[in-house]
Amino acid sequence: MAGVLLSEAEKTFILHGVQSDLRNDGRSKQDYRPMELELDIVTHANGSARVRLANTDILVGVKTEIDVPKPEKPDEGKIEFFVDCSANATPEFEGKGGEDLATEISNFLSTSFNSGLSFDLKSLCILKEIQCWKLYVDILILECGGNLFDAVSLAVKAALHNTMVPRVETMAMDGGNVDLQLSGDPYDCWRLDIKNVPCLVTLTKIGEHLIVDPTAEEENCSMASLVLAVTEDGRINSLSKTSVGSFHPHTLTEGLKVGTEVGIRLNKALKEALEKEEKRLQADKPERSGFLK
Amino acid sequence: MDCHAAMRGRGGGFSYSHAAVIGSRCGQPVGCRRAAASTAMELLSDQGLRLDGRRPDELRNIRCKIGVFSQADGSAYIEQGNTKVLATVYGPHQPRGQAKNKFLFDEALVNCQYSMAVFSTGERKRRPRGDRKSQEMSIHLRQALEAAIRTELYPRSQIDIYVEVLQADGGNYCACVNAATLALVDAGVGLREYAVACSASLANGEIPLVDVSHLEESTGGPNLTVAALPISGQVALMEMSQRFHCDHLPKVLERALEGCKDIHRILDEAVRKHVEETGRASGWGQVDRAGIVL
Amino acid sequence: MSNIRIRLASERVNPSLTFGEEGAPQLFTPGETITENQRVMSGHGTYMDEDNKEVLRASVAGTVERVNQLICVRPIKCRYMGEIGDVVVGRITEVQQKRWKVDTNSRLDSVLLISSVNLPGGELRRRSVEDEQMMRKYLQEGDLVSAEVQSVFSDGSLSLHTRSLKYGKLSQGLLVKVSPSLILRRKNHFHNLLCGASIILGNNGLIWIYPTSPEDESGVGGFTQNLEQVIDKEDRERIARLRNCVLALSASKFMLFDTSIQYAYEESSNYSLKELLAPECMLDVAFRTRHRLQSYRDA
Repeated sequence: MAGVLLSEAEKTFILHGVQSDLRNDGRSKQDYRPMELELDIVTHANGSARVRLANTDILVGVKTEIDVPKPEKPDEGKIEFFVDCSANATPEFEGKGGEDLATEISNFLSTSFNSGLSFDLKSLCILKEIQCWKLYVDILILECGGNLFDAVSLAVKAALHNTMVPRVETMAMDGGNVDLQLSGDPYDCWRLDIKNVPCLVTLTKIGEHLIVDPTAEEENCSMASLVLAVTEDGRINSLSKTSVGSFHPHTLTEGLKVGTEVGIRLNKALKEALEKEEKRLQADKPERSGFLK
Repeated sequence: MDCHAAMRGRGGGFSYSHAAVIGSRCGQPVGCRRAAASTAMELLSDQGLRLDGRRPDELRNIRCKIGVFSQADGSAYIEQGNTKVLATVYGPHQPRGQAKNKFLFDEALVNCQYSMAVFSTGERKRRPRGDRKSQEMSIHLRQALEAAIRTELYPRSQIDIYVEVLQADGGNYCACVNAATLALVDAGVGLREYAVACSASLANGEIPLVDVSHLEESTGGPNLTVAALPISGQVALMEMSQRFHCDHLPKVLERALEGCKDIHRILDEAVRKHVEETGRASGWGQVDRAGIVL
Repeated sequence: MSNIRIRLASERVNPSLTFGEEGAPQLFTPGETITENQRVMSGHGTYMDEDNKEVLRASVAGTVERVNQLICVRPIKCRYMGEIGDVVVGRITEVQQKRWKVDTNSRLDSVLLISSVNLPGGELRRRSVEDEQMMRKYLQEGDLVSAEVQSVFSDGSLSLHTRSLKYGKLSQGLLVKVSPSLILRRKNHFHNLLCGASIILGNNGLIWIYPTSPEDESGVGGFTQNLEQVIDKEDRERIARLRNCVLALSASKFMLFDTSIQYAYEESSNYSLKELLAPECMLDVAFRTRHRLQSYRDA
């Protein structure tokens, strides 16, 4: 991602800092910046979440739709990701400016979700070969402060957790046509199982060290990053190397180890935050902060 | 008026759009064109109340926040009823990128972009921007804001204004103009005055309604959108859809302009509160002789 | 092992420090009439109404400043508007024929002419053709410089100079960006803080924090850099702590000057370096700093 220009001296300063495990803002190599989560922000969506990771601001909405299953996967539903880099984040994203970045993120999410291990697409099936649920996961990037992949994956996981899929009450077959009746009660829904949904962990290589949660300046100093999709129990669903630099195999294996540990902790922190937020939302009239607070 | 009830009553054979309607969590009526067209809805009931319970001259509830993002020069968020819009302003700054050679010698180049989040409407949008409607809205936005910005103060500079509609429930353009004005004030850009926009409609062929919601828009009533500079009363943009008798135009226009004045009061109050709060924290930049901030 | 914590938005703290004591000065918002007195002159942030030449209106939201007949309105936040003599920290964006273009967070890029810099070899050396070709050797795109505003062009862009030893290319350190309105105008913008690090408070809102060099002169001046030198860990900790304190003060819209930053540094010793990133701790530091400054004033 284009962005901040840095002088050679600044880059050297950052590099030496990473080497002595003391980054510019005082964090160690494996610390995350403060994060904030809110659920149920978008009323038109079946599920939504907003994640703020220091400066980075992501809003995700999930909508459900009834669709026909793919012929090669008749008993599975579909999930589609769409990333929109809003020009609010930086003037470079005006018009089609953010499309490359958006495509990169949505492709990686598609890969990790369609592997079958992260998300049970069979649960989205309504009637084999005829009808299934399609989830549209729409991601809006409002501000960029580095480390987009992680923030996006947290918001996506939170939004999926928040999603209520309407319950199908009756189905009548009429020749080849299906007559679906959805439950009349808008609160009669079922929740998605997000136990195996991964969180993305970005490991950025600066010098010979790997850091977690890079700021925009640190991203600028690095030539290569590794993005891992790590599940709650420490399995890696998918992996991608971004940028033009290269990794030494030794750094790579170390990165997998570090990434897995960090991923487990990140999933755990998200789970705790989601439980707290759910409890808060169940209160009588939960206060919505949104952008107003 | 419950949209869910209307859909349910129609029997089986639902299409996917029903899922979108059911998915909406708020109990308020969701703008769905299908139900609106099929049942005849009165814009104004016998008791003189509109579809959402407002009176003809009542605005929707407006809530706003100035200074939402830290990276942009100015930013604001506004909620008009259920319509939610975020606006950011970058500039005035040196023209960069594509606009590098497009700068004007004697005034600032104002660049606007209107974008709607894909999940902002009841039915999911395919593309957030780039279609004709968004481009038209961007041009209209620029028209309204250029009338307010004192562009002669910033020759050879560029001012970027980006609005993002997070939830669309009617009056999108108006909310965008209002949010953009707040963002411009936050950025410290010199304005002649606030650019405020308001919409108005006509009920029963004779009673003007102010601040039209999506439901009222889609029942087919005429819609007049006005962007004005409220203190001087100058109209920067006027757009009308549908048709009504030209005898009624003056009073609908007057109602819309009054709506602009009311919105101006609300926005001004919010700006004052924000300036006071921020100014207090920084001590108004005052320093006494000992060099200590007062 | 580090701790990853995700907060809820409902727990968000409001960073503004509210003090109800002093009455607010008079505020004006865009379009509002300031006065209808004919004999006033319109300064920044004001304009004469086109239709009614006697009415003076505000064009930004802020407080009014009156100097004899000149009335200005100062907005609480805006892009940097340079004045002669200001100290700025800028980044080189372009290397042109005989000058560099510098991004100083103002509405147009500033200019640093080759005739306005100190070249190695002494003050009065003539700028030769080789110098022009070697411009990139001195300053490239992306480099940071500290400079002083020499003059303001008619279109509002600034001309900078680095003709003193204290200005020049900036070496290892870190940059923090805040709003220009939070930087207090003082006589001196270069400070060697008591805590053991040095800071340059650019009037344009860019703050440079760097380790205090042992020699007094040519600390930041000139164009040589030592990139091999590794700053030791204690210096790094001080610099990181200063950075977090400056951001804490700026989040609460607190004015930044050497005393406030020094106090903030001292008050922040209650928290570890990593804890200072949390919004609650930042607010606490700003609050304590304010309290301490007030108690000194009242004393």
